[in-house]
Amino acid sequence: MGILVKGCAVSLDTLNTKVPTGDSRPLAKDFEMRENNNGVTSKTGRKDRQRSQAESPLDEAIPPMLNIENVQHNYGDVQALRGVSLTAAKGEFLTILGESGSGKTTLLRIISGLEQPTAVDRIEIDGVDVAQLPAAQRNCTTVFQNYALFPHMSVRENVEYGLSVRGIGSDERERRALEALDLVRLDGKSERGIGQLSGGERQRVALARALVTQPAILLLDEPLGALDEKLRQQMQEELVVLHRQLGMTFIYITHSQEEALTMSDRIVLMSQGQIVQAGTPETLFDRPNSQFSADFMGFENILTGTLQSFKEPYAEVSLGGKSVKGVWTGKTLPEIGQAILVAFRSERVKIGDSIDTSKACNTLPCTAGDRLYRGKYVDQTAETEFGPVRARIWDRSQQLSDFKQISWRFDDCVVLT
Amino acid sequence: MSDVQVSIGKTALAVPARPISNRLGFSPAWQQLAKWCGVVALFLTYAPLVWLALMSVSEKPLSGMPFPLSFEHYRALAEEPRWVDPFLSSVLIGLLVALVCVVIATAVGRAIPNSRRPGALVLFAVIPLFVPGMAMGAALFIFLRTVLDLKLGYWAVFIGHLVWALPFSLLMVLVIAVRFDYRLLEAAEDLGASAWRRFWDIEFPILRPGIIGAGLFGFLLSFNEILRSTFLRGTDATMPVWNWTMAASQQSQVPIIFSLATIVLLVTLPLLGGFFWLLFVRLERS
Repeated sequence: MGILVKGCAVSLDTLNTKVPTGDSRPLAKDFEMRENNNGVTSKTGRKDRQRSQAESPLDEAIPPMLNIENVQHNYGDVQALRGVSLTAAKGEFLTILGESGSGKTTLLRIISGLEQPTAVDRIEIDGVDVAQLPAAQRNCTTVFQNYALFPHMSVRENVEYGLSVRGIGSDERERRALEALDLVRLDGKSERGIGQLSGGERQRVALARALVTQPAILLLDEPLGALDEKLRQQMQEELVVLHRQLGMTFIYITHSQEEALTMSDRIVLMSQGQIVQAGTPETLFDRPNSQFSADFMGFENILTGTLQSFKEPYAEVSLGGKSVKGVWTGKTLPEIGQAILVAFRSERVKIGDSIDTSKACNTLPCTAGDRLYRGKYVDQTAETEFGPVRARIWDRSQQLSDFKQISWRFDDCVVLT
Repeated sequence: MSDVQVSIGKTALAVPARPISNRLGFSPAWQQLAKWCGVVALFLTYAPLVWLALMSVSEKPLSGMPFPLSFEHYRALAEEPRWVDPFLSSVLIGLLVALVCVVIATAVGRAIPNSRRPGALVLFAVIPLFVPGMAMGAALFIFLRTVLDLKLGYWAVFIGHLVWALPFSLLMVLVIAVRFDYRLLEAAEDLGASAWRRFWDIEFPILRPGIIGAGLFGFLLSFNEILRSTFLRGTDATMPVWNWTMAASQQSQVPIIFSLATIVLLVTLPLLGGFFWLLFVRLERS
């Protein structure tokens, strides 16, 4: 199943699994569909996401849309990428998450061809070996962080540009550009100059310009970074809807764990030029496998203890004689009696004396410490003999002073090295 | 300042801060001064031009009185064939200088911002601006004749003009080129544009005001040049040289020069005005 458009062929196989009606559609039809049965689409979309998470990372039967093996890149003496291998399935929304300097943008530029890697075993896009191809000949486009819109062209001319260099006639070009603008809800602004647009609108133009050539892979380099919070959340939702409609492979770069968790089918966490952990948003959020992952994903409470016993999947850890239990997520289990880390999220910590301390919970005695009012929630520190533990309290009726105990479930606790 | 602070201390209903025009540096006196400086400068620029045009239709321009009016000098100009060759030479040399300036300034100007030491390069390239024309003319005179064994004449004048105009042209391109965002070229490449299309569709249109400016400056500087030309012309004459020779040697020719200068003004000023309007008003708006 696929549609052929003059100048570029795009296979939309995945659209079949994503859209109940089952036929592949040009961009505009999809847009109408979203308008008409928004609810239906999002429902099936969610179901589909769950399915793909279960099968993640890859369905072996379908060749991956992107396949990179062992890419290394140096800037002078600095190693930006140290042997990264990455695959993305057809239609996958893959997020590369990492702080600045982790190598994520370098990786994106290598995929797009704007950067030639120092060494790589293989780069394939849609089954084509592109290692030697310049960026202009790769079947992927980028939404740049700074948008990089052509300031001397109108909105429509910007969107048409990718079609224009492919030698597509002006009527066809205009039709498809307007369709793409429709898709990002910028219809009616096609003749504006770039200078007349707001930040959010520019972002949409950049998106339309990259989408209109119907690439196999859409690369997004922190596209929402410059937008204010409200607009960013709105665009997150729209990107998810757009991804579902087009069935295109999205590779999304961000440093924001919130963005990654909201949109992705799969997240790849990078640090210092290497992939630290890859998995579904749930895995990254609840089952980090290293101290870095835990720290990056916002595990505020990381305590050091010694390994007491291990019985799949739980590891029991002694904190100065007090025993706590959590899911072992680390890579190599240390010997009994060796140092090990216990990590748990502040929002999973309960405080108070009257809580039900059934067997599935760890408890620690404590005294109430500092309190930080954050608007939506309160960060309450509990002083334990093993250091401060932070609890995030959303419930405004919660008694915040004079508690002597905190607790958190075994399943909300990870043990790692 | 003090009244504002007091008002904060006393009450929430603050006394409004002084308007901008009351602050030192924006006082009415300064604005008046700026206005009158501008008026004087503009008067000194345009009044002589208007006076020149007026005198070109005066019967006795050297008397200093415009009246009675007459088109006699224009008729004399039309009957006088000797200015045509220098005029055409000047136009041709000017166009050639403009063309070569555009090509070199564009090529060099877009390369300099990407070079390892752009500051040093720019400095090196614009120093000729500060070399006195007399020195440059004399230097070229010796150099072209003895080292390159070039005969003096139009080609030597052309080289002299090129050397003179090139730094200006380069600056015109550089002003735009240093602000050029090279990520736009990456975006175009990412969208599938070949190297040529990236230049032609993206870089050239954005640099265009600088490139056209480089051409205009090249032409005008060449068309006006006299100091270097006197050294390099051999027996050939450009129009400024011819005008100057006429004015210096034959008093009777001066009124013709007035007419000639007026015609040149009337043709070039509207042309340049239109050009700049096209460049900076109409294209910016679209």
